[in-house]
Amino acid sequence: MKAASIQVILCKCCTELPAVLNIERLRKLAEESCNVVSVMMVDAICDGKGLPAVVNNAKEAEVDRAVILACHKKDIDPALFKAYRRAGINEFMIEIVNIREEALLPHASEPERAQLKAETMLAASLARARLLAPLEKQTEAMKTKNVVIIGAGASGQAAAHAAAKTGAHTILIEKTGKSLKAPGIVMPHSQVVGAKGYGGNYQLTIKAGDKIENLDAAAVVIATGGGWTQLKGPLAKAVKDAMPLYKLHEHLQAGSVPKGPVVFVDTPDPTGKTMKVQDYAWDDTLETALQLKRKARETQVFVIFQEMRAFGLSELAYKEAADLGIKFVRYDKSAVPKIDPKEPTNLIVKDFAQGDVLSIKIGTLVFSSIPANQDNQAIADALRIPMSVDGGVRRGSIQRWPVTTPRPGIFVCGSALFPKSNEVAKAEGEAAGSMAGEFVAKGEIEFGGSVAQVTQEKCSACLTCIRTCPYEAPFIGTASKAEIKEQLCQGCGMCVGICPSKAIELHHYTDDQIMAQARELLGGDF
Amino acid sequence: MAGRKPKVVGFCCERHGMDAAVLSARSGKEFDASVRLVQVPCTGRVDGMHILKALEDGADCVFVLGCLEKNCYYDTGSIEGRKRVEYVKQMLSEVGVEKERVEMFNSASTNAWMFPEIVSKMVALAKKLGPIGGEKQ
Repeated sequence: MKAASIQVILCKCCTELPAVLNIERLRKLAEESCNVVSVMMVDAICDGKGLPAVVNNAKEAEVDRAVILACHKKDIDPALFKAYRRAGINEFMIEIVNIREEALLPHASEPERAQLKAETMLAASLARARLLAPLEKQTEAMKTKNVVIIGAGASGQAAAHAAAKTGAHTILIEKTGKSLKAPGIVMPHSQVVGAKGYGGNYQLTIKAGDKIENLDAAAVVIATGGGWTQLKGPLAKAVKDAMPLYKLHEHLQAGSVPKGPVVFVDTPDPTGKTMKVQDYAWDDTLETALQLKRKARETQVFVIFQEMRAFGLSELAYKEAADLGIKFVRYDKSAVPKIDPKEPTNLIVKDFAQGDVLSIKIGTLVFSSIPANQDNQAIADALRIPMSVDGGVRRGSIQRWPVTTPRPGIFVCGSALFPKSNEVAKAEGEAAGSMAGEFVAKGEIEFGGSVAQVTQEKCSACLTCIRTCPYEAPFIGTASKAEIKEQLCQGCGMCVGICPSKAIELHHYTDDQIMAQARELLGGDF
Repeated sequence: MAGRKPKVVGFCCERHGMDAAVLSARSGKEFDASVRLVQVPCTGRVDGMHILKALEDGADCVFVLGCLEKNCYYDTGSIEGRKRVEYVKQMLSEVGVEKERVEMFNSASTNAWMFPEIVSKMVALAKKLGPIGGEKQ
């Protein structure tokens, strides 16, 4: 086997902080290290300008792997990997070391130790880089261009329109039989009951009416929305004619005004043990209260809440509400609003801000609550996606992938995540629909790379990996040994850590690579 | 041994663990330089062998930092990681090594103050216990 030839890149932007780090010492150490054929200093690696020089240098020096001393791996531009690929260097042969956030910034008051740590980190990453192996990703064509959207509410319809614009075939699955205008096919009275496959090639089982049908889908958008609830607890005993927020909204649309004073509470059961995120009042309460007040100026309106969040520009509604004379009463969990024992039509609330105990006469009690949809659990089980603690579908990452689930090809939008207002749900639906359309438009899926692989000779077919994997990637193959379906593998390595026979290996994070890095890191004395 | 610097190894998951460390550095928090971070894709990837080898190679303490258990990117990854750590703890107590040397933590990626706390806790423990098999300070 040819010995490794490593190119070391020092990003000046990330690593240069003269008071802490002596970059020349680092450069010298890199030059003296084994297997290093080229050391380069770049102004800013995240800036595309330096890339051609880096890649040319890599070509000239005929390196086959690179170690980059820069900042957080996730903030490095993917353009870097593309440029290296053009130079014939596999993306899995590039090791990025986070000198900035692991050595520079947190140890700025101890420059000598920071320097030694940076040097040790360089040595450790070189040790890891020597063990890296190139990995190729494979592709598989998608069988269909179907985007299946579960739920035809506000967000679902927005998703259908956005996905149809990209050329995907949209299929809306709606539980009820409501009529709606949306591009593509609408399946009323149907529900998803099962799913097989992986991103790009899903086979959904759909219960349409009394029939069970199979449907191929390239991408799935979950837009189930929220559910509805009733008033609960002591309030429900005292107040018989309370109405949920959406009912008041319907009344207002029809032109009727409820008898005042109108009291909005943020949860169906303030005395409930745990307040979930679903229970809080959101900006729709504010909007509806404003509508009511605009229609009937003389009606007294109270909004009683523990936490209220208005989204974006809808915060301006606070100002209008204050001008119109809507009274906001914030209460604390320690003193929840309750019915006056002497006067059963009055609500006693302790104002958290003022400290006063108020007695508010209830004309109409309106509660705002969008609990998690009951169907979420069944859908999450069928598609094998994680749920949040509140009973919503969980997204990949709030900053990086707001409408994506951890499973490729499954997107989520609207109140299926957690309750939100109509506009936000529509915007999210558009985003999820566009992303699903974009996913389908590729026409093929990419898989492989950093995935697990079973060494058949070592496998004792104990089924431990099959029980552990949350994605059901391992299966028992024809040779009565475990195999891993690469399309399903997400590269977490849980099966690798647990395998009692040490038969599974996770590419790019092998035992040797992890332990070599740890050993080198422990070698430095700082 | 006077002047000996403690050595702490942290296996951080790629998703929340490493992000928490990076965020704490970015938000201007300082933590002890003795900590050495090794990135793994998920705490479920951490093998008992990795922890034991790290202890053998000279680490005083090892910690594993993963996602919150109900918010793990890989669904059950940090629960698996905790099981692995408990297993190593049991093994250590059987061979007569303080089991506190190995610990599992969970943190959200948006939690900037937790990582320095974890580090200072583990470094203080490493200072207190000293090297494995050595004299206690």
